[in-house]
Amino acid sequence: MKHNITKYIKLASLLLVLGACQKGDIPNLNTPDASLITVNPTKGELDNLVTGLESGMRFNLGTYLEVVGVVGREIYRFAGSEPRYTIELLGGGASTLDNNTFYITNPWASRYRTVRQGYLLIEGAQNATTITEPVRKGYLGIAHTIMAYQLLLNLNMTDENGIRVDVADYKNLGPFVEKTPALEAIAQMLDQGQADLTGAEIAFPLASGFDLAREAPDNALTAAGLIRFNRALAARVAVYRQQWAAALTALNASFFDLNGSTSAGFYNSFSTNSNDQLNPLFVPQNQSGEIRLAHPSYATDIAPGDDRIAKATLRNASATQNGLTSNRDAWVYTSNSAPIPIIRNEELVLIYAEAKIQTNAFPDAIVALNRIRIAHNLPAYTGALTQAALLTEMLQQRRYSLFFEGHRWVDMRRYGRLGELPKDRPGDDVWEEFPIPQTENN
Amino acid sequence: MFLSKSTLMVLLLICSTYMLYAQQNVTGRVTDASFGKPIPGVTVRVANTNRGTISDADGRYTIAVPSGSTQLTFSFTGYKTKTASAGSGTVNIAMEEDFARLDEVVVTGLATTVKRSNLANAVATISARDLAGTAPAQTFDAALSGKIPGAQITANSGAPGGGISVKMRGITSVFSNSQPLYVIDGIFVNSVAVPAGLNDITAAASAGNPNNQDNPSSRIADLNPADIESIEILKGASAAALYGSKAAAGVVLITTKRGKTGRTNISVNQETGFVKVRHLLGQRVFTSETALETYGAPQQAEFLAAQAAGKIYDYEKELYGETGLVLNTNLSVSGGSEKTTFYFSANRRAEDGIIKNTGYLNSSLRLNIDHRINDRISVGITTNYVNSSADRGLTNNDNNSVTYGVALAFTPGFTDLHKDELGNYKPNNYSASNFLETRDKMTNNEAVNRFTTGIKLDARLQQNDKTTTRVVMNAGVDYYNLKTAAIFPASLQFMAALKGASIQGSTNNLNTNLNGYLINNFNPSSKLSFNTTIGATLETGNFENILVTSTQLIGTQTNLDQAGATTARQFRQKYRDNGIFAQEEIVIMDAFTLAGGIRFDRSTNNGDYKKYYVYPKGAVSWNLAKMAFWHMSAINSLKLRAAFGQSGNVPPYGSKFTQLIGSNTGGFPGSLIDNQLGNPDIRPEKQSEFETGIDIAVLDGRVSLEATYYNKKINDLLLRRAPSPSTGFTAEWANAGDLRNRGIELGLSLVPINAKNIRWTSNINWWRNRSLVTKLSIDPFALGAFGNSLATFFLEQGQPATQIKGSIPDPRDPTTNVFVALGNSEPKFQMSFFNEVQVFNNLSLRFLIHWKKGGDNINLTRYLTDIGGTSPDFDDDKNGNGVKDGPERLGSGSASIFVQDAGYVRVREIGLYYNIPVPNNKFLRAVRVGVSANNWFTWTDYVGYDPEVSNFGSNTINTTTSRGSNGISTGVDVTPFPASKRMSLHVGVDF
Repeated sequence: MKHNITKYIKLASLLLVLGACQKGDIPNLNTPDASLITVNPTKGELDNLVTGLESGMRFNLGTYLEVVGVVGREIYRFAGSEPRYTIELLGGGASTLDNNTFYITNPWASRYRTVRQGYLLIEGAQNATTITEPVRKGYLGIAHTIMAYQLLLNLNMTDENGIRVDVADYKNLGPFVEKTPALEAIAQMLDQGQADLTGAEIAFPLASGFDLAREAPDNALTAAGLIRFNRALAARVAVYRQQWAAALTALNASFFDLNGSTSAGFYNSFSTNSNDQLNPLFVPQNQSGEIRLAHPSYATDIAPGDDRIAKATLRNASATQNGLTSNRDAWVYTSNSAPIPIIRNEELVLIYAEAKIQTNAFPDAIVALNRIRIAHNLPAYTGALTQAALLTEMLQQRRYSLFFEGHRWVDMRRYGRLGELPKDRPGDDVWEEFPIPQTENN
Repeated sequence: MFLSKSTLMVLLLICSTYMLYAQQNVTGRVTDASFGKPIPGVTVRVANTNRGTISDADGRYTIAVPSGSTQLTFSFTGYKTKTASAGSGTVNIAMEEDFARLDEVVVTGLATTVKRSNLANAVATISARDLAGTAPAQTFDAALSGKIPGAQITANSGAPGGGISVKMRGITSVFSNSQPLYVIDGIFVNSVAVPAGLNDITAAASAGNPNNQDNPSSRIADLNPADIESIEILKGASAAALYGSKAAAGVVLITTKRGKTGRTNISVNQETGFVKVRHLLGQRVFTSETALETYGAPQQAEFLAAQAAGKIYDYEKELYGETGLVLNTNLSVSGGSEKTTFYFSANRRAEDGIIKNTGYLNSSLRLNIDHRINDRISVGITTNYVNSSADRGLTNNDNNSVTYGVALAFTPGFTDLHKDELGNYKPNNYSASNFLETRDKMTNNEAVNRFTTGIKLDARLQQNDKTTTRVVMNAGVDYYNLKTAAIFPASLQFMAALKGASIQGSTNNLNTNLNGYLINNFNPSSKLSFNTTIGATLETGNFENILVTSTQLIGTQTNLDQAGATTARQFRQKYRDNGIFAQEEIVIMDAFTLAGGIRFDRSTNNGDYKKYYVYPKGAVSWNLAKMAFWHMSAINSLKLRAAFGQSGNVPPYGSKFTQLIGSNTGGFPGSLIDNQLGNPDIRPEKQSEFETGIDIAVLDGRVSLEATYYNKKINDLLLRRAPSPSTGFTAEWANAGDLRNRGIELGLSLVPINAKNIRWTSNINWWRNRSLVTKLSIDPFALGAFGNSLATFFLEQGQPATQIKGSIPDPRDPTTNVFVALGNSEPKFQMSFFNEVQVFNNLSLRFLIHWKKGGDNINLTRYLTDIGGTSPDFDDDKNGNGVKDGPERLGSGSASIFVQDAGYVRVREIGLYYNIPVPNNKFLRAVRVGVSANNWFTWTDYVGYDPEVSNFGSNTINTTTSRGSNGISTGVDVTPFPASKRMSLHVGVDF
């Protein structure tokens, strides 16, 4: 018996050895790890984070543009399986906006995800020991500029409900702030980006949507070019803050060019390249089911001869859903790889016009308005030379120039004119703002 | 290692040269005590040895008994085990039926068993006949429906190839594994469901809910039900604690058929049948006015023209109304010598779906060999090869209007979608896709090659009249390659932008397990026995999924390189779990059973991979009827029992990492932070289960009752909580709550008639579960389906885990919404009723009725047909308020209309079988014919294809970029693959 016991013990130890043949932890086999990459990233890793930052701007951008387009009565979004585009967003029947539904939660979360990516890039750039100070400043500059832009898009949705601007530490978020201080914080973040970019060296790549920031002789991205991008966004924020002089100052430091191409600007790029994204808003014309249509008022309100009617092409057959009908496709994004503007010169010209109208410099404003009108095959402005009339004209030009680029709803709200937006069905509503997502309380 | 190996070799040698004594032959005949008929297949064993034989077709046996052995044991499933003295040369035995199955041997440890009459847990057992003997289901997992008291089993969809959610005793886990562990002959097999990348086309997970909705089948469906001998189900930690952190959601122990010594049996079985859709919703009948009202003047003209031409189509019937042919063929050969036995089977199951171009084909081979090296050492080898192919169509939710159901919901019957004379499909002007074209042109195939093998070594190290010591080693390998192909030719209506898509995935999965046990049985007296086990286990998993999406296809080519744009994704996961355990079982006077055990477990999926977690268990049972003082002969068994056990549930792979996903722009490689925040401190969930019960058998076991109460608590619940999205994250892993399930399981077995020529047996089970979130240390959060306005599961402290909440207009102020509880997906109770009536020993009628009382679904299918204006009752006005029901439902602004009672009464299985009497001859032994129907009759108030449905599947894997299923949101109905019913003819011949 005693001998047996020894045998058993030996056998038992054999069994235990079996369980310990392999050793060691199993790391993340699939991707880099966020907690490791910021310790001391290489320049290559930082460049990957910049590309990720640029890429992140596109997540749910299609949803954002559709949602603000629908609420702003620019487009209809007919979707078989997603009726909330034609019911809740238009306030159909008794429905109201929900605080836990994709139209707010998805774009909102994606914008903050890009902001988080910005902080990750900043942390990494600050900890990197193998890059020079000007190179580091370049990373910080692009991070702050893009983060500010992302916050602005979320504020566009929630408006008076505000946003969180202090989100640097995800374990300890700052409070929600109201619209005015939020805009101020966004402007400051853009200023920070400008300061970072001043004297910076741009060592990272950006997609072709940022080609405007390239300069001779070697056609490389430059800090100066990115500052012009940064200031263009600052001009937009300034008019949102009704700081007209500041808007003009920012415009002067931007890529604003009164006589330049209207399409010159900065864009989100799309491509069929591996692991890239396709433009989510492209649908061929005359499709049915999942479609983006121009709101019928687009064609009825347009001035005769305006070539911007090409953004709403006539369909073979009109489409109807839920009592809404349109016979025009929204035809702004005409291919899978069509870029989506971040900001472009046509908007800057109109910001210039707006700031000039608001500062009663009507002749300058009219020059800018006519620049747009003539570019679109319209005669020069002959309307009244009053601030009210010019503002109406400016908003009209913004409506058609920036169609389906996410502006009309915001513009009409800025000027207290949401009541002018058409309601197609009895019981429809024009929403002023989106609720804060339910999960923000978590 | 070398030393240990040589020790083992020495041991084996010692054992094999132990003894060769004189023998004597014993012969005899085994008969049924009631009817006197012979019983074939009875295992006759010399007590305390491996030596045994099987009675032949005439009940006769011969066995060589070494001198010194005195006892023979006779055992056979369904009969009480008998022991007889081997003294004389002839031993005839009359065996009594074990109606209450008291002598049934039930697995309690990893390698030990106990008689049911001494069992401390309610372990459900399913025999081969229970599983597939009445009306075979399409897949193994579907065949479990209604047969496990305490389980909620739901078919996720009617798509060929399976996909079943099995939940034992309520909600075990929300975000970690909620499905049971399947162990086949000691081999731990993988049962995940791997999505095929359909989401690239449907974008189903792009808007309301990020969870994958591809509807893949779970891989346990590969198993051939005809190979199964029996199944035991350990429902929770109190029974399954020794399986440690894999056992939290229960363990399904499957034993496949083995050969028996004696004549070679050849059995051929053929099933020929058909499947039909269970229920269609119907289509709206348009009039000129309603066509105008819903769509407009041009469509009204289209309607009038179609009406005049008599071309109004019932597309639902056209799409879902196919009759599928079922052809299942099974061949098995088994037999063997005294030393070696084998079981071989070949099986082919082919069946078409109720939608054209869908279907399932499963071919499998199995070879199980058992060999006795000598009196002391035996090995058993299990091998199984499966090749399966499932064409599953394109169903469920989507956001691009491309799935059959979503497109159908928007298409009125007066538009023509058929091919024109040139063979081109007419574009669907009412939706983004022409579902007839999609059905005819697209492919969604899952093809599996799977090889599962294992070896079991059982060696007796030592034996004397008081004690036996054995070592048992088990090694198993489960490997499969899953090839998914989702192909959308460029000519499809919705491929205008992508110009064709070919999405092909390849998954390789290898699971291994290695278990070793040392078991000592010590019987100091006839009234006392100790059973001691120590052991160690090691399990590894290695999963790799490569998914490539090519678009802009060249011509009609489908190769991934014949394309203008290609994106590849790869996901790998690995884990290594190991455990050490010890267990002691003590049986006193065959009446008291005391058991205790402890397991130490660790896993690389835990935050701290080196840390051992401790899971104890303890159990006690007392069978009063076996006590000396018991004199009530009418009561054969009266057992009180209680058991407690703990187990864990490891966090899913990757939950400790915050990933940076690949996200490129402009040809530059990018890393973008994931929206899921990892938790480096993540721990397993800890489950503590207490169960207690009373089992009574009276009237010779003709009436027996098993009553069980359980209380299953889960602490440190693994939750993918939703942090404030302004953190940049929408999900975060945390151990953040406690959950409780309490339930009752009642099982009543009756033999109301037991006459010579007729016998009626009846099993009635009743069970219920109530879950409660007892603690939530994070804010309550929604789990989906699709937001508050469409009703959502909502995890909240003090509420059932399965509650459904939603937004409804505030009764005090209809312009605002309130968020209120609207339902609960947990059934009020379930009941199953199995009956078998056997007449003249030859004719047998069996049926299984399953009643699920209550339990709500979130039904969004009708929502879609309402929006599409195609609901069959769109123009009705049931409440007579002058508003049509369709618009009324749409305008209600209330989520309450989506929450619907999904209770049902269903005749799951009904079968009538006849054994054609065969005169005694050398070749033909038995011929059976039968007819069966599966899911043929259902009574339900649920407005949908079937109350069993789940848009989100049940065990869909999490990958880098896609979120898998959670343990709660089953019962969400979004244009599923409709459920089917089947009827078959069976012919079986045994040679």
